[in-house]
Amino acid sequence: MSQYENNYYQNGGAGGGGFLTGGSPGSANGSPGGMGRKNEAQHSLRPVTVGQLRKATQAHTDAEWMIENDEIGQVTVVAQVMSIQVQTTNTVYWLDDGSGRIEARHWMDSSNPEDVEKWGGIVENTYVRVTGNLKTFGNKRYINAQHIRPSTNPHELYFHLGEAMVTNLMIERGMPPGPGQTAQQNGVVASGSGASAYTTQSRAQTSQFAGLPPLQRSIMEFLHSQPPNDEGVHVGAIARSVQGGDAAQISSALDALMDDGHVYTTLDDSHFQIST
Amino acid sequence: MTEHISTRVNSHRLAAYIGRTVRLVGKTLKIQGDTAIVEASDGGQVEIRLPKDPPLTGTYNEIIGNVIDGSTVKMLMCIDLGSDLDMKLVDDMVELTHDPKFHEKMFT
Repeated sequence: MSQYENNYYQNGGAGGGGFLTGGSPGSANGSPGGMGRKNEAQHSLRPVTVGQLRKATQAHTDAEWMIENDEIGQVTVVAQVMSIQVQTTNTVYWLDDGSGRIEARHWMDSSNPEDVEKWGGIVENTYVRVTGNLKTFGNKRYINAQHIRPSTNPHELYFHLGEAMVTNLMIERGMPPGPGQTAQQNGVVASGSGASAYTTQSRAQTSQFAGLPPLQRSIMEFLHSQPPNDEGVHVGAIARSVQGGDAAQISSALDALMDDGHVYTTLDDSHFQIST
Repeated sequence: MTEHISTRVNSHRLAAYIGRTVRLVGKTLKIQGDTAIVEASDGGQVEIRLPKDPPLTGTYNEIIGNVIDGSTVKMLMCIDLGSDLDMKLVDDMVELTHDPKFHEKMFT
């Protein structure tokens, strides 16, 4: 029982800490200054469709919005303006991008002529690009717009659709392979698991240590291929495995690698470990 | 909310959307009275039943309307897309929005 109380106390303490870092409630209402937020997603800008925003979910009213399982920060859409309602403090734009409709609200400072000018160029029945955060008011979802501008080039819409699709695929499947490493990880590896896995690995290392002289490079590749071990690798084992170098050359190569910080000595001066 | 979805289509996808609202990009070929003939992004010709207002103004327009049959759309509104539009890009994007990888998640 006393143990239980002890745990309870600790949890209570942790909960207090969580309250401090968990973001001030005010930040959820749109005020700036959620200083405690470390979330990178909050500072990201993702191209989306209105359909994705309508399907976005939120665990509770102060939680971050998620599209599928991915947190979103700012979003940008390109959509048709169906209607504009100018109100005293804000303007409501009804947006339709073909995948659904959503409101965008812009809170206006009408005393500032620059603001009026900047936001004045939007007309109904044209395409606009809107950037902002997803919010709710009552049961209604809207985009709290930081920025709206007319999309004067019709190709922007099709670019946006493509960009939103690519972004979605990258989040789902990771970055596509770069040029020169096409499909290496994805398809071919399935045949002969051990051998081919080894080949890809050594190829990756070749590129990783490509900047080093040949002897240093083969030492690094050998060290890298060894199972992880706190004691490091004895210089004799290195000398046996590395081709084309006498003891003095290997020793100076190891010195150079140490000077550059690629390896360090462990138990004594003849055991080496790779720096990670 | 489904009533607000207007799927992007080309001429050969019209038949799958009879009775529904779509967005069709068309190059105006001719206007005769209250019908217009436009060329869709996949090159097929589509008859557009025009309302009194608004008129089809651009060379290229995005026509939002109800599909009557596989080659006829009753226009509700339109957006002028100007006189310079890459119809190959439009058609590629139309086809991609119907790709099962994206359609359900992003365009419904």
